[in-house]
Formats: sequence, structure tokens, C-alpha cells
Amino acid sequence: MNHDSGNINDFGMDTISLAGTLEAKLQAVRDAGFGQIMLAAKDVVGHPDGLDAAVAAVRASGLRVTGFQVLRDFEGLSGHLHDYKVDIAKSMLSMCHQLGCRLLLICSSTSVHATQETQALVRDLRKLAMLAIPMNIRVAYEALSWGRTVNEFPQAWDLVCQADMPNLGLGFDSFHMFATNTSLDALDMLDPDKVFLVQLADFMWTEIKSVEERIATARHFRVFPGEGVHSEALAALVTRLHGLGYRGDYSFEVFNDDYQQMPLATVAARARRSALWLGEDVLRRSVPLPNQIRLKHRTTG
Amino acid sequence: MKNTLQTSTDREAITEPANPLGLDGLEFIEYATARPQALGQVLESMGFRPVARHRSREVLLYRQGDINIIVNAHGQAAAGDEADDRPVIAAVALRVRDAAAAYRRALDRGAWAVPSRVEVMELNIPAIHGVGTSRIYFVDRYDRFSIYDVDFVPIPGVDARPPAVAGLHFFGVVQYIGNDRTEDWTEFYRELFGFVELPAEQRFGILPKGRILRSPCPAGSRFYIQLIEPEAGVLDVEDDEALQRVGLGTADVLATVAELGKRGVEFVESRGVHTEDRGALTRSWLGGISFELVHDARA
Repeated sequence: MNHDSGNINDFGMDTISLAGTLEAKLQAVRDAGFGQIMLAAKDVVGHPDGLDAAVAAVRASGLRVTGFQVLRDFEGLSGHLHDYKVDIAKSMLSMCHQLGCRLLLICSSTSVHATQETQALVRDLRKLAMLAIPMNIRVAYEALSWGRTVNEFPQAWDLVCQADMPNLGLGFDSFHMFATNTSLDALDMLDPDKVFLVQLADFMWTEIKSVEERIATARHFRVFPGEGVHSEALAALVTRLHGLGYRGDYSFEVFNDDYQQMPLATVAARARRSALWLGEDVLRRSVPLPNQIRLKHRTTG
Repeated sequence: MKNTLQTSTDREAITEPANPLGLDGLEFIEYATARPQALGQVLESMGFRPVARHRSREVLLYRQGDINIIVNAHGQAAAGDEADDRPVIAAVALRVRDAAAAYRRALDRGAWAVPSRVEVMELNIPAIHGVGTSRIYFVDRYDRFSIYDVDFVPIPGVDARPPAVAGLHFFGVVQYIGNDRTEDWTEFYRELFGFVELPAEQRFGILPKGRILRSPCPAGSRFYIQLIEPEAGVLDVEDDEALQRVGLGTADVLATVAELGKRGVEFVESRGVHTEDRGALTRSWLGGISFELVHDARA
């Protein structure tokens, strides 16, 4: 790291922002100066040389895997649908473990086949977290803004609290919060140690009128923080999370069709600019000292 | 915000029975090793006797008193590499009221099933994944009929029930865990088996580190699991997790140490760890296997 480079250690890119092969994505992210990357299951299962080759490429890249995504429509199912989803979850956990990744992301269910009964949702989240314990994986539960029962983060937080598992926490995506106009004040109820991941994205329009438009925007028209019209809100959000005591990772969850047809280095440079803006101008991170090492938390118990 | 979440009408958390599986102690501990004879010698110096041999695999049953140790060399020889020669605790078997029910309950709550590989006329003992590569078996035939009657052949001319040296009995298992993993593993043992955490001031033996979980068994078969994280301040890279050693209970630690000393067992004497009334720790054999003695007045 050059002495004139900023501190972007807390920020990472997501493979979904980039076109091309897994190796090309890893290289582009690395070259832009990032130390971590968020992976999707299809990055590794779709590798032409198979899963083991994908795992080897990720490990060889030296990048830390921020998290592995995404388990969908898991909670609230019963009978054979539940058993089927448990198998899917186990498969994702196994891949996550192989990658040396410590975090699995799960989105709130959109399924009309799932019950809306709180106790059942809590029970399923507990079960998923239990499956993850032997593998040393944490589970981040995220409120998808078009989730059927859980669509705002305070609801996801409520389930996380009720499930009360040490390795179950909140996955927080700024896009969904802005899309539903959830108040920033709601952040104050969060325990920062139970926020396992924060995903950030901006978008280009001020208002989203329908659920259809929300889904289309989320999947095709997101931009990096600072590139859209919600920069101030994003700055306020990360400042608030920092003030709350959040010290975890920020991952750029930027789905964008245009970025999929631009050179990887160009997209990664945009992400870097965004990370520098957040790290330098918003959070005013200091550049780490040379040979900085990460010590384990001192045990309090 | 749409308020579609139903609020719970339960004002009281109705607690589950304290011992949901009817847990009643440890049936056996299984070691996996590529050097079964060397491990057998260690066990014999600790007072165990080989009493039976598995019908189809390279597996021996050692016993003293109520303590059963299985030494499994099946499929280990191929591994062969010197560094991997250290025997490991490969499984613990829990005595439960109904093994099938206990197994189903564990799976319902998020345990991982271990596929069984039984040969004809062998018992299908259900198992789930435990820490690291270890397994946790559920056994319900330990009273009038034993699992060893089916899968093992007695070694001729050997006392099948050798008495325990100085009343030794199972006391517990020490589990090494990764950084910040104490809460995870506490929840694992609590949710699946009904273990409870002991207050920090309640400790046994001479190695009080970490957290101790007490099994919900009746007093006569109670045992403990001790969870130990890496030393604070150690770099956040050590994530190896495994069952580290077996703890044996005895009413008189010093007499047991003297008795085992006659058999050639040596105990650690250092500034931090040394033999006393509360407990003792054997020196390690074969690259890392050791036993801990803990004062425990159980009859």
C-alpha cells in the first residue's frame, strides 16, 4: 500500500457488479486495492474447471471473502419444501466453508408457500444458525424490500432477536432501506455486534413508486455510493452506523447492467473512488500503521 | 411499515424438560489412530484392558470399570503420514433414553447427520457431526443389553469387566475451540442436548480455563464439557477445533496418581500445572494424547 493511498480496508466489492470469469473479477478487485470480495454461489459452481478450482482461485487471490450469497426463500416452509430448502442451505454452507468464508447471507422469504407465523420463522432461522455452528459460519439475515412477511430491517431485527442465536445477526442493505423509506432513527435499536454485514448501494432516481419498479431498480440500476442521488443519505447512514459502534465490513451491493458491459478495471476504479469517498471524506479513516495486526477480542466473561 | 408480523401471545417461556433426551452419561469415547498398538499401550498404562474386538473392522474395545474406550484403526493406515499419526478423539457416544428419537430431535434442530456405514448384522448407531471431524453417537442399549454384544467379539480368557483403577470414571471432555466461539458451542450443546453453563466461579481440577457445560444427566452419570478458546492476544488465525482430551474423575487424586505412577504414567509438574488434591494432568503421549484427573467424589 502506498502512503498516499487511503484506508479502504473496511470496504469491498461484490462479484455481481462485474462481468467475466471469477479469476478476472478477483484480479480486478485486487488491482483496485481492495482486500475483500463478496462472492455469489454461481461464481464458484459455474467455474468451468469446477468447484475445487474456483475455491483454489479464491484462496490464491489473497482476498478475504466478505460473505457468501444468497440463500433465498428459506424460512417459513413446511414438510417437503422445508426439507428441500434445508438441503439447499447445507449445500451453501458447505461451499461457504470450503471457501474459508465465515458469513452466509440469507434474504427474507418472498414465497407465498411460506407461513407468516413468527414462531415458525424464528424456529427456521434458529435451525439454519445451528447448521452453521460446526462450520464456524455466521448467518446474516436481510430484509428484502419485497419480502412477503419481512421487508424492512426492523422486522428482520425482531426475528434475529427472538431467534437469539450467537451466530445469527442482521444483514443490512442500504438499498432496501431507502426503497422503503425506513427511518434512520430505527437504526438506534440495533446492537452493533449483531449487525454482521452492511451492503451499500446508491441509485439514480429519488423515488420508487411500485414494488415492480423497486425490484427492477434493485436488480439492474444500482450504482456505487456517491454516484447516485442518495449520497447524502448514504453518508448519514454510515456515519450513524459508525456512531452506533458498527466496525464490520461494508460491501458494495451494486447490480448494474451497464457495469456488466464495461471493462472490469473501469468498474473497479469506480468502486475504489466510492470507497475512498466513504473512507476518507465520510468516516475519515486514518491510514493504518505498517504491519498492523488484528488481535482477537479480549474476552469479557 | 406493514405490520404483518404476528406478535407472540406467549407471555411465559414454557421451559423444556431439563433433560430432553434422557441423557444418562457417556457410553464410550472413540479414538482414531494409525497406531492402535501404541495407543493400546498408553491405555493399558492408564488402567484400561482390551476386552473385545470388532467383528468386521480393525477396532478394539478397552475398558475399566464403567469407562469404555474404542480404538479405531479402520481406514487410518492409508493416511500414513507421520504428522497425522497423532491419535484423535473421533467420537463420543451419549447414552440416551431413545436413540432414534434423540437423533430425529437433533436433526430437526439443525444437527448434521452422519451417514452410517454398517455391515450386515451390525448395529446402525445414529450419529451427528460434532466439533471438527468428530461425531456424536446416540446409544440407548446400555442397560440389559449392550451394543458391544452385537458388534464385538470378546477376547478369549480376558475379564470382560476389569475393575477401574482407584474408582476412575468418566468426568468429561475438553474441547478446544476457535476465537470468539464459546457462545456458539454453548448454544450447540444447550439446544441439542440440554447442557447448561456453569457459573465462572465453579471449576474442577487444576485447569480452570474457559467455560464449563454440565450435562443434564442424573448425578451418578453426569459429565462435563469444557470449552477453551485460544489465549487472548494470540493472532486471529487459529481456528482449529477438536476434542482435546478426556477427563477422568476420582475420589482421591493423589492415590490415583500414585497408583498410575507405578504403571509408568508421568504427570505434568510445571509452575502452572502440577498434581494436587484437585487434579492432575498426565504428560502427553504419541504427539498429544493426555488424560486429566479431576477430584470427583462420585461413588
